[in-house]
Amino acid sequence: MNRHISHPSSQNTAASVRQFRPRSPSATFVQVLLAGAVAIALAITGCTKKRFDENDNTLNLVLRANVKGLDPASANDQYSATVIAQMYEGLLAYNYLKRPFTLQPALAEAMPEISKDGLTYTFKIKKGIKFHDNAAFPENKGREVTAQDFVYSWKRLADPRNVSEGFWIFDGKIKGLNEWATAVKNEKANYETPVEGLQTPDSHTLVIKLTGVYHQLSYVLAMPFAAVVSREAVDKYGKEFLNNPVGTGPFVLEKSSDWVRNSKITLKKNPTYRTDLFPAEGMPGDAEKGLLVDAGKQLPFADKLVFNEIIEDQPRWQNGLKGNFDWVEIPKDNFDNAVAKEDRTKIVPDLAAKGLTLDITPALDVTYIGFNMTDSILGKNKLVRQAMSKAFDSKTYIEKFLNGRGIASQGPVPPGIDSYEADFKNPNAAFDVAAAKALLEKAGFPEGKGLPEFTYEGLSDSTARQGAEFFVQSMAAIGIKVKINSNTWPQFQEKIKAQKAQIFGIAWGADYPDAQNFFQLFYSKNKTPGPNDTSFNSVEFDNAYEASLKLAPGVERTKLYTKMRDIVAEESPWIFNAHRLGYKLVHGWVGNFKWTEVAYDYPKYIRIDPKKRAELGNKL
Amino acid sequence: MYMIPILIGVTFLTFMLFNLFGGDPAIRFAGKHATAEQVQVIRAELGLDRSLPEQYFFFVKQIATFDYGRSWASKQLISTMITDGLGATLSLTAPAFFASIFFCIGLALFSVYGRGTVFDRGTVVVCLGLLSISSLVYILGLQYLLAFKGGIFPISGWDPSWIGRWEYLMLPWLILFVLSLGPNILIYRTVIMDEAFQDYVRTARAKGLAEKHVYAKHVLKNAMIPIITVIVIEMPFLITGSVLIENFFGIPGLGGTLIKALNDSDFPTIKAFTVISALTYMVFNLLADVLYSLVDPRVKLS
Repeated sequence: MNRHISHPSSQNTAASVRQFRPRSPSATFVQVLLAGAVAIALAITGCTKKRFDENDNTLNLVLRANVKGLDPASANDQYSATVIAQMYEGLLAYNYLKRPFTLQPALAEAMPEISKDGLTYTFKIKKGIKFHDNAAFPENKGREVTAQDFVYSWKRLADPRNVSEGFWIFDGKIKGLNEWATAVKNEKANYETPVEGLQTPDSHTLVIKLTGVYHQLSYVLAMPFAAVVSREAVDKYGKEFLNNPVGTGPFVLEKSSDWVRNSKITLKKNPTYRTDLFPAEGMPGDAEKGLLVDAGKQLPFADKLVFNEIIEDQPRWQNGLKGNFDWVEIPKDNFDNAVAKEDRTKIVPDLAAKGLTLDITPALDVTYIGFNMTDSILGKNKLVRQAMSKAFDSKTYIEKFLNGRGIASQGPVPPGIDSYEADFKNPNAAFDVAAAKALLEKAGFPEGKGLPEFTYEGLSDSTARQGAEFFVQSMAAIGIKVKINSNTWPQFQEKIKAQKAQIFGIAWGADYPDAQNFFQLFYSKNKTPGPNDTSFNSVEFDNAYEASLKLAPGVERTKLYTKMRDIVAEESPWIFNAHRLGYKLVHGWVGNFKWTEVAYDYPKYIRIDPKKRAELGNKL
Repeated sequence: MYMIPILIGVTFLTFMLFNLFGGDPAIRFAGKHATAEQVQVIRAELGLDRSLPEQYFFFVKQIATFDYGRSWASKQLISTMITDGLGATLSLTAPAFFASIFFCIGLALFSVYGRGTVFDRGTVVVCLGLLSISSLVYILGLQYLLAFKGGIFPISGWDPSWIGRWEYLMLPWLILFVLSLGPNILIYRTVIMDEAFQDYVRTARAKGLAEKHVYAKHVLKNAMIPIITVIVIEMPFLITGSVLIENFFGIPGLGGTLIKALNDSDFPTIKAFTVISALTYMVFNLLADVLYSLVDPRVKLS
């Protein structure tokens, strides 16, 4: 409705006498806006099509972070490594079904022959394995893989000019490799210069000579770092090799535009893939779960893989529920909407009715609060560390901050790895405020008197800050004052590596399923900036660790692992917090799903039922 | 010419801040297993073992030649990272930005035109309301309602083709547009209001000029200088994008790239962004000066 107004500022002036009639902008303007909005909505909904095609055999996966590059020498983060593992292969791989994790040949014809002294590994390489067809090769046809390709690939890891984060797997372990790396840096060697520890008596035999016993060699050979690359491709693409993957794996990046940076990567089935069969045997119960239906069948099952990169939890979760991904991790904030309150091993009925199932798998990691063992107070007072450990209630932490998705850790080794004992109770990890106070008193600091205020270093995100507050409150209960420093990840890392962090909360995930990967975190020669972040130093521990390195998996080695666990439990350089559990919702059209934390080649084993997806998915 | 000392100042400040607070990138890139010796090797490879003046000289040389090399974190070419992200960012921000400018100036004009009416008061109240809600609420709420529940838009995603991407951009545009309404309308309303009751406007009215001409020819034209200033200040946002929207909608833009670079202590990428941002600000400021002289002949470019 139109109405007359006069401007206050123009009152009492001649001009104010003239009244004007401002038309209300409402009617036509709003109508145009509404009409536009409706037209747009109709245009979009009109374009909506059936989301799932019953002939589309694509596996849709989601990653929580962006893929950086596709060069195995830089497969340092699990997201890049996951994509790399679809296109590249190494000598060995994990059996998809067996637990504990068991290695099997991949590009090797068989498991290696190991000399009696454990210093020489001889691998026979499968014949007829071809690199992906690529412009790097004559007539674009991938050539056969030879033993020399492995020598070249591993020299690339060692070459300092490549700044590879993966060299640690061979660092100081293979005869002559470190010397070669130094010579290359000084331009006194090249890739033709032989390395004593990497010999190829014939085109399909690779002999590895070690500087010392290295029982973890087989495990690291299953990591993407150790995958075989082709020299032709590296030469052709140069530094752009990281965007032009040429491996032997079951999937291939057909054209560079199939990788939309920071968005998604589409891989197609490799038409020249080798004979690779679904395992014929599994664990007890696998057959009942339908995991052996495809036993003996050629891999991979999917025609196409799409890795979607979504950083935020909510869109990842919503896309997962809509079936846009074939399975999805349950975010912390949506846990109660997905998992039944009365039974945390079951999903809520309406999700179950949509054909979703819940998978719970240990994440093969440990979260902990580390003490700087070079600190003049914390490093020298075992009783103070024990008291702080007993004052921290990891069970409550797991409930509050992980929705109960974790096991209170008693030592560094997570479930699923040799030497983990479900029944073991670390006396210093048992929450007991009274006992903690008694220990403090025994240490000469009754009610924390005489102790300075400690500093806890953590990350600046809200969950980390809340976790830090929980720690501060736990320590306040026994009279210990702690202040929190929130850091960016680079600052946090630098403080730890420079021994400037007094107390810090961090985690370690397994590189391979051997307890050594966790016990190395206490070995004095690995002190920070190596992986021993607390700079823990115990002669007794070091002796046991060094002895364990010389032993093959077996009873004797497990005994040493147990001894090492007991030493760190007693010395308490860490407050053991949690072994996390992964909770995933899996759609009803996904077959052969058995989650693994260390084997990145799992997509080739997954079978999608496209018809079932069209039937279930289009209703979501 | 004033741009050169500004650029030198920016580069020096960036370099010093990074060296003081950026953490040791060699530790970051050496990986969790690296020994002290390996960290040293990586430090040498990254050129961090050189003296600070040498490092700064190298930095300035890169700026002068526009050759930023490769990212330390991803080893990708920085020029490619920027060109890849720029198209996505601009297609996200530019339509919403310009649509918002025109819409908000128009609405502000209407509001001033009908000053004191229910429409004007309602506009101010709604704008204040819009302004006081966190941007995360709009993103989460509209994504949940219109995409997840309503199915009108895709939840997230991206199509690299210019034609295909619009489908994924509709909801982000809508959110950016809604987010900009509160602050833009209020500021334009204030700016236009300042002009609407100046003496020369009164004179124009006294001469019997039609009200629509008063607003179009006098008020709006004279309000353009502060409006241009506001727009120019917001312009670099077109380049740096909106990190939250990019992350929530899976749009591979520059905002996300910059945040990752900061989290990774990826100095080559950070310095490229810093220099580009500084240049963008300076170019847009220059553009503003040119536009000032166009809308107001009294402003002379010197």
